[in-house]
Amino acid sequence: MKQHTFLGAVLGAMICSSTAWAVEPGEAAPAFSVKNVKGEEVTLAAQKGKVVVLEWINYDCPFVKKHYGSGNIPKLQEKYTGKDVVWISVNSSAEGAQGYLAAADLAERSKKEGNKASQIVLDTDGTVGKAYDAKTTPHLFVIDKEGKVAYNGAIDSKNTTDVADIESADSYISLALDAVLEGKSVDKAKTPPYGCGVKYSK
Amino acid sequence: MKLSAIFAAGLPFAMTAFAAEKSGHAAAELITGVTSYQAGKTVPVGIKLKIDVGWHSYWVNPGVGGMPLSAKWTLPEGWTAGELQAPVPKRFMTGDLPGFGYEGEAIYRVDLTPPAGATGDAELKVALSWLTCSGDACVPGDVELSVKLDAGDGAAAKDAAVLAEADKKIPKAVKESTATVAEKDGQVVMTFTLPGDLDIDGILAFPATPEVVDAGAPIVLKKSEEGWTASAPKNEYADGPAKAYDLVLSGGKLAQPVIVQWIGK
Repeated sequence: MKQHTFLGAVLGAMICSSTAWAVEPGEAAPAFSVKNVKGEEVTLAAQKGKVVVLEWINYDCPFVKKHYGSGNIPKLQEKYTGKDVVWISVNSSAEGAQGYLAAADLAERSKKEGNKASQIVLDTDGTVGKAYDAKTTPHLFVIDKEGKVAYNGAIDSKNTTDVADIESADSYISLALDAVLEGKSVDKAKTPPYGCGVKYSK
Repeated sequence: MKLSAIFAAGLPFAMTAFAAEKSGHAAAELITGVTSYQAGKTVPVGIKLKIDVGWHSYWVNPGVGGMPLSAKWTLPEGWTAGELQAPVPKRFMTGDLPGFGYEGEAIYRVDLTPPAGATGDAELKVALSWLTCSGDACVPGDVELSVKLDAGDGAAAKDAAVLAEADKKIPKAVKESTATVAEKDGQVVMTFTLPGDLDIDGILAFPATPEVVDAGAPIVLKKSEEGWTASAPKNEYADGPAKAYDLVLSGGKLAQPVIVQWIGK
């Protein structure tokens, strides 16, 4: 099944070059270097040997509100950073676009939203977002200890803005993280992310 | 308590035209094709969504990002709601993301059926939620609407004409069609036949089943020896080979939009 998808992806990329294919599970995660809200440099290279989560945020997007307002994402952040996972919230909103906040404001807003990520970083020019082909907020990636993409997709299985749906949804991110932490392969390694489009510069 | 619900409860007539209820960047309204219902006979209902200029809402296959409209009915005992039928969408981009949906106005159709032996007032309630997006933001809409119908002769309401017009944009499954789906070189190719010998000119194709083909690529229609083929790149999120594929065809010389359905074995 996975092989088939991979083959399809390769052939698809060969035939339809206009289609941007996201980083595929099993591939090396693109390296990056960005600044966090305190102005410190955060690189993927420095996380080597640890499981990393990249989570795209825009606090003004109703789907992000669903998962912060309910406390779902903060709970996940708390749970998995407690298991030595490095959770990085990435804001790729361009300056002037919805969700953009300067470093100090992003730090303050993140605190107010209950964000418990290890790092909150600014990707205002969209470099990291485009390297990963992050499409929506939220959109989540799990990178394993070897630096390979283990999961690329939605936070869970229910594409709605309704908080009541969180409990009955399959939490794809939890399933992926649990598998990776146990050294197992992720069953659903790629799912369609749902939410608002990332507000890249136009 | 929503305004329309209060009105519905307080009005002396069983059937009344209700104002649209606004939420987010769209307003929704329930319309019925009859002024009263008859036991066991289908009541045609429309959900009219009026979307603000500069905003769009989403089809059953929203494309990348976005969210389809959801309708949850609360009906009197024994009543049943048929499938929510969405009109033919258009393609658009939301920033970098290709999507399917509506600008301006869209009327969804649903048939509600009272049980045999139903009597008295019937309150038909629906909780709707949808998403509207512009290039800059996405805003959800949530409303509860209701309409009250009395048992009666099932005479046509003035909105019957509106629903008849709306029906022309609702794709209907073609029972006589045959379809097969094959995947080759990263393309998903549906081969199908339609009754009659239509030409392809001006016909547009839309994938109603999400995650089968790439939402951003046009579906290419061609005449083939076996009928027609509809080809498009495989969706990058497809979980293995396609299991089902509904293809909507509209425009050109088609009298009515159609759905060609395929279910894998």
